[in-house]
Amino acid sequence: MNSTPTLLNRILIGILGVKLLAVGLLLMLLATVPAVATWWHSWAGSVWRGINQAFNDTRFPGRPESWLWIVIAVALLVLIGLMVAWIAQQGKGRSNLLVVEYDPGSVDGDVRIGGGVAEQALKHALGERPDLAGATVVTYDVHGRPAVKVKLQPRQGVAPHLLAAEVAALVTALDTVLGKRTPVLIHIGAGARTRFSRAERVR
Amino acid sequence: MSSAPVGKRSAANGPDMRRIIYRETHSPRAAVATVAAVLVMVLAAYGLLEAGVHAIGQPAWLIEPQVAAERMAALPSGISPVLLGVIGAVLAMAGLFFVLNAVLPGRRARHLLNGQYGGQASGAGPGTEDLPAGPGNGPSVVVDDEVIASALARSARLAANVTPEQVMVVVSQRQVIVNVRPTSGVPVDETSVLAAVQEELDEMALIPAPQVRINVSTSGVIGA
Repeated sequence: MNSTPTLLNRILIGILGVKLLAVGLLLMLLATVPAVATWWHSWAGSVWRGINQAFNDTRFPGRPESWLWIVIAVALLVLIGLMVAWIAQQGKGRSNLLVVEYDPGSVDGDVRIGGGVAEQALKHALGERPDLAGATVVTYDVHGRPAVKVKLQPRQGVAPHLLAAEVAALVTALDTVLGKRTPVLIHIGAGARTRFSRAERVR
Repeated sequence: MSSAPVGKRSAANGPDMRRIIYRETHSPRAAVATVAAVLVMVLAAYGLLEAGVHAIGQPAWLIEPQVAAERMAALPSGISPVLLGVIGAVLAMAGLFFVLNAVLPGRRARHLLNGQYGGQASGAGPGTEDLPAGPGNGPSVVVDDEVIASALARSARLAANVTPEQVMVVVSQRQVIVNVRPTSGVPVDETSVLAAVQEELDEMALIPAPQVRINVSTSGVIGA
């Protein structure tokens, strides 16, 4: 429920994958099929001549180097910057505020409730449960609307629907306290902490 | 930071929750995307180095670009065909990995619980209407298959009266397979195990609902 750009991820990964696949297949064909080798010689030769021509045409006056190298360097720098920006997009979307609303009461102004309220309240309520190995509560910003994600790590053998019902009651109580319904997602997951911890025996 | 118009969209809760659930049950491909980006960055950094070195007229670091291009144009000669084929195969495999990651749906091993939590139905199951945002509209619940498996294993173990080591449960998108190894000399009643597991599953009300299969192995465990 964070704002990782999933569609962009798919497109960019797909482009990279298709390119790698094409290069790999070409190399394999070059190694095995002689007819491909002759075609490659003629095609690559003409392309290479064209590139050579371009470099020769773009020399600095009076020097052997071409300014095309600087263009290439700048283009690669931009590419690296774009890749850094792409990585920075992964897993974004945390929010600090749970409620931002105009208060129509007698005093003018906005009401803002921080996400820490929900996080601390739920964490505290869940912290002493013996059937949980861990619990995290995070507020996210989903298209400008705050939403809360509760991640629970129950011990082995805990029935998820009973746990979900009890946590849902806590969430409802929180909604009552805040006076506003927040979209909540409960994720009951497994991790290293649940796999190697003792099983829950009572319940 | 987030001074977005919160109140404006409060009526559009249904589709919002559906989107959240889709994102929770499908992989965001963040790890693969990071690997891809780092790969491109490393290649671009090497290219940048050689281009920069060339632009200021210094000798190349690893290989002169001109020499590299000429060798590439003359390719099948100058390298053993086996090595060339292997390099090609490795690149093609990496490419296939990325392409499949991009094209496949990327469903995670998770199920949505369609129980009624905190009031009315919990959002975006198939067949659930878009409920208006109201006090009776409870949270949505997504559960890892591993958690479902361990809960089902517990109820199967109690029904079969065996130790935890004798039960193994595999949960996939549409199937639950319960493997029971009975204690030697103590028969396991398959129907009662099936009934116990099925009852637990019905209480969970998973989306999509899986089919249960019980395998009682023919060989028993001694001294359990």
